[in-house]
Formats: sequence, C-alpha cells, structure tokens
Amino acid sequence: MGHLLIFSRNRSTVVERISSECMKSSCVLRDTFIDALVEVTVELPDLEITQVNHQVRRWKHPVGPEAEEMLQHAIGVRIGPGMLKIIQGLGGNQQRFRELFFMLEECCQAIILSFTKEVLVQSPRPTDADASRAFYNEMVRENIRLYNRCAAFAPGSPLVEGIDIEGNGAENS
Amino acid sequence: MPDVTFIRNKIVTVEVHNEKTLLARGLLADDIYGLEIKVYIDTTGMTIHALEGQWNRWTTPECHRAIEELHRAVGACILDSDFSQKIKKTVGRLSCRHFANLLLECCDSAREAAELPIKPLEKTAAPASAESPAAHAAAPQPDRRLNPETVEASVASTPAPEHSRPPKTQNAPATLREAGGCILDLHLHSYPASPCSSASVDDLIREAKRIGLDGICLTDHHHRWDRDSLARLSKTHDFLVLGGNEVTTDQGDILVFGAEKDFPGIVTIQELREQAGPEAFLIAAHPFRGFLTFGIGRLGLTPEKAMQRTLFRYVDAVEVLNGKVTEKENAFSRKVADALHLPATGGSDAHEVSEVGLYATHFEAAIQNEAELLAALRSGRFQPVVFRVNPSPA
Repeated sequence: MGHLLIFSRNRSTVVERISSECMKSSCVLRDTFIDALVEVTVELPDLEITQVNHQVRRWKHPVGPEAEEMLQHAIGVRIGPGMLKIIQGLGGNQQRFRELFFMLEECCQAIILSFTKEVLVQSPRPTDADASRAFYNEMVRENIRLYNRCAAFAPGSPLVEGIDIEGNGAENS
Repeated sequence: MPDVTFIRNKIVTVEVHNEKTLLARGLLADDIYGLEIKVYIDTTGMTIHALEGQWNRWTTPECHRAIEELHRAVGACILDSDFSQKIKKTVGRLSCRHFANLLLECCDSAREAAELPIKPLEKTAAPASAESPAAHAAAPQPDRRLNPETVEASVASTPAPEHSRPPKTQNAPATLREAGGCILDLHLHSYPASPCSSASVDDLIREAKRIGLDGICLTDHHHRWDRDSLARLSKTHDFLVLGGNEVTTDQGDILVFGAEKDFPGIVTIQELREQAGPEAFLIAAHPFRGFLTFGIGRLGLTPEKAMQRTLFRYVDAVEVLNGKVTEKENAFSRKVADALHLPATGGSDAHEVSEVGLYATHFEAAIQNEAELLAALRSGRFQPVVFRVNPSPA
C-alpha cells in the first residue's frame, strides 16, 4: 500500500457580494463519497438568510425532497452569534443530512469571515509588535465576546492585558 | 459582475500510516488563515493518539499559543456521539476554533475512510454499513487505549477565568429603592439545568439575596423549573425565586414566562407564540447580540431597518440591558424597543455567581408569586436598571 491515499476530501467555500444589499456564499464538497453544493443568499444589513439552494451530484444514499425541505428551515435565520445552535437545532436529528447542514454552517461562517477580513485589513504589520498588540487589545474591547474565546485572547495573553471584562456591562450603561 | 469577498479551501487526506494507525492530514487556506494539522488515529479504538499542528499564516502575534492547546484532543474517541461537542468545547475555545474545525474535518474523513475495504486497516470500530451514518453512534464502543475522559477532564481542570468578579456590596441606586416596588433579575442560568452555566442554583440565590435583589427568575435554556421546586427553593432561602425559560427560536433567544408547555428543541418564533399560550409573556433576549460586531456603519444597519425584523411581531417586550452584550448592542436594542413602543427589561444573563444582578428590572408593583409577575409584566409598569454599579474588589 505504501502511502497511497485511502480517502480524500476537498471543500471550497466562496463568498460573493452580489449587490449592496445581497451576498451569496457557496460551499462545494467533493470527496470519495460525496459531490454536492450548498448555496446561501443573505440580505444586508441584518444578514438574514433569504434563500438556500443545494445540488447533490453524488451521495452515499438517495437524497430526496426531504433534504430541500429541511434546508429551507434556515430561511429567516440571522447570521451571527448563536446561529450554529439554531441551524443545528433546525436540522434536528437528521443524520442523513448532517453533511448538508455542515455545508450550510460553512457558508454562514464564511460570511462572517468576509467581514472579519475587512477589519483585519486595517491591522498593523506584524513587525510592529506594540501597535499590533494595541490593535487587537482594542478589537477585544470593542467585541468583548472575543475574550477567552481562543488561546490568543485567553487571560494571560498580552492581547487582553488590562481588559476588565466584568466591568463591561456596568461601565457601558 | 459580483465581487468575491472571501475564499476558503480545505483539503483532507487519509492514509494508512501503519497496521494500527490512520494518518489524516488537513490543510486549511483562506484569505485570513493558513494552517495544517496531522492527526494519528488508533484504529483499534478510533482514538486520537497524537497530533501535530502548524501555522502557515495567522492573524495575531499570540496565535502561536494555540498549538500547545491542540493536544487536549489526544485520547478522544472519534466515534463518541459527543465527540464534536467536546472538540469545539476544548480545542475550539482553549486553542483555536479554526484548528478545531480542521481537526473535526480530519476525524470525519478518517471515520469515512474506516468504512472503506482497505485490507491493512483493522476495522474493529467501523460501523457495519455505509448506508447508515447514524450507526456510528450506535456501534458498540471498542476498548480504548487512552482514557476517554481525557478531554472532559482537561476542561474540568482548566482554571476558572481570571476575570471572575469578586463579591461586591453596592446595591441599586437609592432612588429606585425609594420608588418602592421591587427589583428582579429576570435572566439567570444555573448549572446543571443550563450546561453552559457554572453556578449552582443555591449559590445564585444566595448571591442575589446578599446583594439586595428582591427576587430572581431562573431562565435556563429549554428547561422549565416545576412550581414545587421553585417553592422549595424560595422557602429554603427565604427569597423570591420564580421560573421562566430561555427558548431558542429561528429568530434568536426568547425569555418565556407563564407558559405551561416545555420547548425542548428549537422552534420558529411563530410556533413559540402559538404554543406558549395566550397567557405567556415573551421577551426578546439580547436581540442584537453580535449584530454590531462589525460596526453599524459597516453594515448600514439602522434602528428603522432593524425594527422590521419578524421577531418583533411576536414578542411582548425587549431586553435592552443584558450582561452579555456590549454597550452599543444594548443601546441599539433600546432604540428599537422605543421605536416599536415595546416595554423594555433588564437581566444579567448570569452564568456565574459573580454576574448576578449586573442588570435587573424594577417593577412598580410588589411581586410575590408567578401570577403577580405576569400581571406586572402585562401592566408594562417596569423599567430596566443597572443594579451592580461600579464593581470593585471586596
């Protein structure tokens, strides 16, 4: 056998700005068993899902109209914190469509990351360590949910130095 | 011609590393991140027995900290029904969610690969049929070389966040007290009813009593406290403890008071309104949490546009002071509630004892029981208040 592959998977997700009020995010999955596409249309500015389409070219088992019906439950969901819980909840225990719902999640995550990218474009060059730390410290202050959400923003990291997360609510009112 | 604003590519491959081990390699490359991972999976138990991570491109100067934390996944069995949740909870929160995402992709691919008829691969843990992925969860669990509790234990042993607020003594402004009525924290989560909370119900009540609240409402996620339990808690602590719950809908989270029905799963906002019954009082909880992450200007969201959301056609009030969102998001909620002429509430959304009473709701009437709470809510004679002001060390 040597090091021949026994399984491979390619997943590509692309976000497009269709107009000032509309974005589209598509996820294509191709692996040893599956070849499918899920596409989500989102209305701005509140990032509400207005359309979900899918195509299944190859699957491990037949995917009938039920999949289409399940995916349509996501229409009206707003992309933002808590969306994964909602999407997974709407998918219920439909293990057969697990991969389709994961593709839907990928589409939604990519929409968020496209906005994150816009913010990160403004970050200082990594060589300027002080400015870089100050930039991310301010970013956490502005988006306090980032605090303790990953190793980089965990307590003890220089990026969150001096941030009093608990005081946030009271100070801000 | 539409503009492409973001692209992400993920490639995962699985190979037979040796007779007892699969090697899954994952590569994630998008406009922001570049990372790679190697996952060694013991095929006799389908557990992760080693992994390596590497950053190719990252965003912050501290992202490198994530690599060490990746090892929290070692020992986890990829066939466990809660494997994905464990990885998101440990690797995702303590290391990096992008690594967690790629790790899950690698493990899912390895699981798929285990279904293939590859001779050198021992298939003791593979499900019987590729036609029924659900069989993964139902398959008998094999012996594991590593302790399956490793991941859970690593969470339990993680020190409490350093930001835990010390006890404070300052209570509501005197003017509120002089106005009479009562002050209740309408939004709290207790453990274990809400797995995301770290506060026991007894500790929450003791703290609420200590800081001078007149009562609390336990609003655990998809969990309704029965009246007998609430009465027992009130009696034991000599303190008003009422119940509600927080239900997730397709339009976000809703605080529900006065419903006779449980809502164990996610429902649409219309279903919630219909099924909760005419007596129920629904409050939109933190309705703009995360809405303003990228700034109002960036997305162009205005209160006028936001008030058109379907959500507001079905709720009786809006939570405009919530302890888990930013100043801007609370202020935005206030503007929308005012524009819609919907009454406004406040609640801490406490998940830790130290968060109880950050915000609360001042009712003009005295409240002693659930019926009086519902009557007070329907009267609209209440307002959100900052309760734990000027936090300072004990």
